[in-house]
Amino acid sequence: MQPENHPNTNNLNNVVTTNGLTKYYGVIKAVDKLTLSIPEKSVFGILGPNGSGKTTTLGMLLDVINPTSGSYSWFGKKPDKETRQTIGSILETPAFYPYLSAVDNLKIVAEIKAIGYENIHEVLQITGLYDRRNSAFSTFSLGMKQRLALASALLCDPLVMILDEPTNGLDPRGIAEIRELIRDIAARGKTIILASHLLDEVQKVCTHFAVLNKGQLLHSGPVNETKLDEQRLEMAAENMTNLKTVLESFPGTKKIETTGDTITITLPGAIQIGEVSRFVFERGIFITHLVSLKKSLETQFLEILNEPA
Amino acid sequence: MKRLFRIELIKIKSNASFWVLTSLHVGIVLLVILSGKMFLKSISLNGESFSKLVDPSNIPIYQFPDIWHNITYVAGYLKFILAIYVIISITSEISYSTLRQNIMNGLSRADFIKSKLFLVVLLSLASTLFIFIAGLVIGMLSTPDIQLHYLIKYSGFVPAYFLLLTAYLIFALLIGLLIKRTGLAMGLMFLYTIIIEPIVVLRIDVAWVKGLFPIKAINNLIHMPFGKYALREVQDYVSLKETAIVLLYMVLFIYLINLLLRKRDL
Repeated sequence: MQPENHPNTNNLNNVVTTNGLTKYYGVIKAVDKLTLSIPEKSVFGILGPNGSGKTTTLGMLLDVINPTSGSYSWFGKKPDKETRQTIGSILETPAFYPYLSAVDNLKIVAEIKAIGYENIHEVLQITGLYDRRNSAFSTFSLGMKQRLALASALLCDPLVMILDEPTNGLDPRGIAEIRELIRDIAARGKTIILASHLLDEVQKVCTHFAVLNKGQLLHSGPVNETKLDEQRLEMAAENMTNLKTVLESFPGTKKIETTGDTITITLPGAIQIGEVSRFVFERGIFITHLVSLKKSLETQFLEILNEPA
Repeated sequence: MKRLFRIELIKIKSNASFWVLTSLHVGIVLLVILSGKMFLKSISLNGESFSKLVDPSNIPIYQFPDIWHNITYVAGYLKFILAIYVIISITSEISYSTLRQNIMNGLSRADFIKSKLFLVVLLSLASTLFIFIAGLVIGMLSTPDIQLHYLIKYSGFVPAYFLLLTAYLIFALLIGLLIKRTGLAMGLMFLYTIIIEPIVVLRIDVAWVKGLFPIKAINNLIHMPFGKYALREVQDYVSLKETAIVLLYMVLFIYLINLLLRKRDL
């Protein structure tokens, strides 16, 4: 066994590690010294505005874009075509032979991945394309094309799935279905790498996320690792004036805002919601509405983007 | 290896341009070959003073052994029909991003090139087989006294035709990969094959230097046979030296295709 010098490259719990990965297009830095680890069995969201280097990064990991410098490894070793055979991936738009049927297109994928044809019908059923299996790809709507791409990514029962904007062009029902599908796949112990500029999408399915901007990594970590230094509660009662007065006297209240017919209070993170509820009840006020406002990923994301680098 | 072959077969099985162009190739080759006799007849009818020595309509273009040389030479000129398909095949892989998707799915770049070379060899083999059968049938029907040594003489042009076609289709593959856009690649291939190189070659006086240009080298595998009917001397054999030049070009083309695909972001 050869000893590994770099701590990142020999971590068996990481599916992918990159080390100073860099890509220049002429003078433009598409990806700048990216060092990142993607843990096994995570749903890893790569966030960033358009043109932030998400697709370029994934392209390098999949050996279709040559890095200018830096390195990356899959499962702790240098990747080859056999590695890619165990990864299901979609980059940008679904790419298939337009004149071939869904089944023939998947046969080609199966041949490339060196597996049999027996999963083809199953993945077409999962993605709801079974009835159109013999239609040419060119006759598909954008949503169907997107689902065929997902079917092809599922075909080899992959260890890792790479999805780049998987809900692009889908209607709300399609988006919800894809989200369900991603959760299902993740529940089966697969690692999913998801690039998106839709924060909502990432928040709903991801366990970890990284933020890229102008090719640089701004943040990387688990989704729920919010700084719990404060929390916000949205409340309402029959008598709003009394509620406000009582809340003002609650020890620890930092801020009270009245918005429409609700009151939003900001409290220290350590306080239990039950304490607030009991405090108000003991003073004769019945709460009719109580919602804990989680700090959304969008707020986190914007904060990260705005932090001085 | 078998996998790569199957992939290419699935792709061509229901591809309209494949079937249109290969049928066109067969049809046009047959048409051109069979109109040879009509052409000669029209010469003999119109050109009273053409020749008192031979009646052109009696020239034995379809008889063994001449048929092999004639048919492969004429068919060699129609190689561009199959080259069009090769260009469509490679440029559409680029424009549909299927080349990129195939690599992402687990094909190596070398695998991809091999699968396209399979296609080239398949097309060349099929066309050669067709020419062989056509030559055999036409020769059988036209030769009054069939003798084995006449049947075999000149049949070396059949494998030469295979080499000629393979080399040219690999050239088309390179052009397609280099230019990426279907129309532009086809235009450039035609321009180079029928205008640019012939003009350059025309301006060169030294015969052996002419033979170093790729298209000229490929065409040199089968020299024009018809001069002999006007009692001129023609090269009625496949020269080893000229074959070696073509083989070298094939190696160079494949090397360049490899280089191009390896260096490029897909």
